[in-house]
Amino acid sequence: MSEKEYSLKIQNVKKKYVIKQFADTGKAVSKLGRFVNRRKIKKEDFWALNGVSFNVEQGEKVGIIGKNGAGKSTLLKIISRITEPTEGRIEITGKVSSMLEVGTGFNQELTGRENVYLNGAILGMTKAEVDEKFDDILEFSEVGKFIDTPVKRYSSGMFVRLAFAVASHLEPDILLVDEVLAVGDTRFQKKCIDKMLSIAASGKTILFVSHQMNTIRQLCDRVVVLKNGEVVFDGDVEEGIRLYSSESFADRKLHYDYDGVARPSGFENNLAQIRSLDILHNEEGIYKAKESIDLRVRVQIKSDEIGDLSCRMHIYKFDGTPVETIFSNAFEYIHEQGEFDINISVLKHNLSPGNYSASIVLTRGNSKFMTGDLDIVENAFSFEVLNPDGTGNSWPRNWANTYNESMEASIIKVEE
Amino acid sequence: MRKTVIEANGKNLQYWKDIWNYRELALNFAKRDITVRYKQTKIGLGWALISPIVNMVIMTFIFGNLAGLSSDGAAPYYIMVYAGNIPWGLLTRSLQSSANTFISNAGIMKKVYFPRILSPVGAISAFLVDSLISMAILTLLMFVSGYMPSFRMLLFPVFMILCVAIGLFAGLFLASFNVKWRDLAQMIPFAISIGMYLTPVAYSIDTIPEKYRLLYSLNPACGIVNAFKWSIIKEMSFDTVSFVISLIWLAVFVPLGIHFFRKTERTFVDIV
Repeated sequence: MSEKEYSLKIQNVKKKYVIKQFADTGKAVSKLGRFVNRRKIKKEDFWALNGVSFNVEQGEKVGIIGKNGAGKSTLLKIISRITEPTEGRIEITGKVSSMLEVGTGFNQELTGRENVYLNGAILGMTKAEVDEKFDDILEFSEVGKFIDTPVKRYSSGMFVRLAFAVASHLEPDILLVDEVLAVGDTRFQKKCIDKMLSIAASGKTILFVSHQMNTIRQLCDRVVVLKNGEVVFDGDVEEGIRLYSSESFADRKLHYDYDGVARPSGFENNLAQIRSLDILHNEEGIYKAKESIDLRVRVQIKSDEIGDLSCRMHIYKFDGTPVETIFSNAFEYIHEQGEFDINISVLKHNLSPGNYSASIVLTRGNSKFMTGDLDIVENAFSFEVLNPDGTGNSWPRNWANTYNESMEASIIKVEE
Repeated sequence: MRKTVIEANGKNLQYWKDIWNYRELALNFAKRDITVRYKQTKIGLGWALISPIVNMVIMTFIFGNLAGLSSDGAAPYYIMVYAGNIPWGLLTRSLQSSANTFISNAGIMKKVYFPRILSPVGAISAFLVDSLISMAILTLLMFVSGYMPSFRMLLFPVFMILCVAIGLFAGLFLASFNVKWRDLAQMIPFAISIGMYLTPVAYSIDTIPEKYRLLYSLNPACGIVNAFKWSIIKEMSFDTVSFVISLIWLAVFVPLGIHFFRKTERTFVDIV
């Protein structure tokens, strides 16, 4: 194959982060204290990417899948030139855009029109290009006559629509999409997917990061599976998804650390942060149907008056299909900073046999009165549910994902 | 089709070409800064007039009347103070804004790529526009006071450009340290407020005794501020020594600033 047909040639890309850890963690240490004792800081190398190589042909749609911390987002950051690799080389042919960074650089004080031009310039469009597409952008955004109103007066829906309208009128040769960072409601996310499908149909190259295997199936004709910063699979979509969801790949652990795990945008952890999770009373993260799932979640509270908290879990089937949301009760009122352990027992879940992953959400209020999520860790941990007799997890694919025994029924012989 | 090569250690061959490709962005940043600055306020553009005038009145009172410092040439004291404040403000604002550029723009820089240098360049372009407004007022003041400048006033754009260049490149140099060592951000305003007394802003350079003049002129801002005043005040003689020292500083700051800025921009998102 001749060289010019490649959109991307990624050769042995490595990215190292240096993690600095103060030896005496847990205690509040002033900045000055840290400076005085700076020799005690442990420096640890962390290879977010450890020799990634693959090529993407022009017009290919490649899905990148992998667990949290596998290096997916880091790879996209390097390709989009936000940060540079520690080693390796990437050759890009064509213009790169990342679509879901919608609204980057929008200024609240400026009008919709002014923001369209500013945002367009930030995303790499010239004034002439924006001029040409302005009417389309306006129509797509449904903002109408408010285009000359400062965006601070916009509803959040209008804001997102306008921002997305600009981003979707870029004409990149290579589109990078990180769904983990996607914002907006379901309708908006669907609009994004539809737009991507139409871009895909127009023959552009797409690199797509997602935990939603169904979207990957819809959009991609090839997947690259990353694990611990390395490519462990590159090829057929179904085979890659099978590998990703297989037990051997699931690497279920009993302890998970979330410091440094990327959060969706908007969760900057100003008030509280989920730090780690331990699986209790279970050796492997494998549960019999209806067996209780016991966890301990460590959180860091950074506000003196955080008030009522509760937590929530979103359970996903291995392929990303959402299955169940589980709410906790509200905890006792918290009025001090520090680390807290939340002991969780999921007494009753209705999950059918199979492999699952769960997101953990720390939120204010409780299931009836929610005042806002404080932190979320997506794909926080994985586990397996077995058949009621504990022999395996075979479950017909066309059966649904919940298991419910609450049907009351009896049988009576019909007298003739 | 555009070809980009990304390599470790920033061997980015298309760096300067990129800046050219994105040139409109600097203009957009400048436009944003100006629009936003004057949009939120009731008096709008009036603030560009009020603050230098108030500054001038206070400085004239303190330095001219109370301290009895002398003006340059035959220019009324307030004209001299006003003329001194234009280059000084331009230089220090450029310095501050480029030194803080990684921190104040971290949000957007973490999400999209563009040549980072366009952020401070956009900001200082906005300052240049402010200065042009100040120049208009200065012209008006001179007209009212009856103090007429000579034709060399037409040289002022040259000195303005030199002012922002010194501020920009010194700021770029500081920006890379600012990322790791945030205390710098606190120290810069402090250094600026002291620096004003060590620069011929509100007094004539002739006030400084001859034997200390060279030491005094080592201040990078000294020569350029004085040269700007020279273009306005026709009786002043050109102080070549301090001006050359300013140019030498600029020649030092340009490579230093570009080198450190490029070094930092490649990976600062991993730190901030």
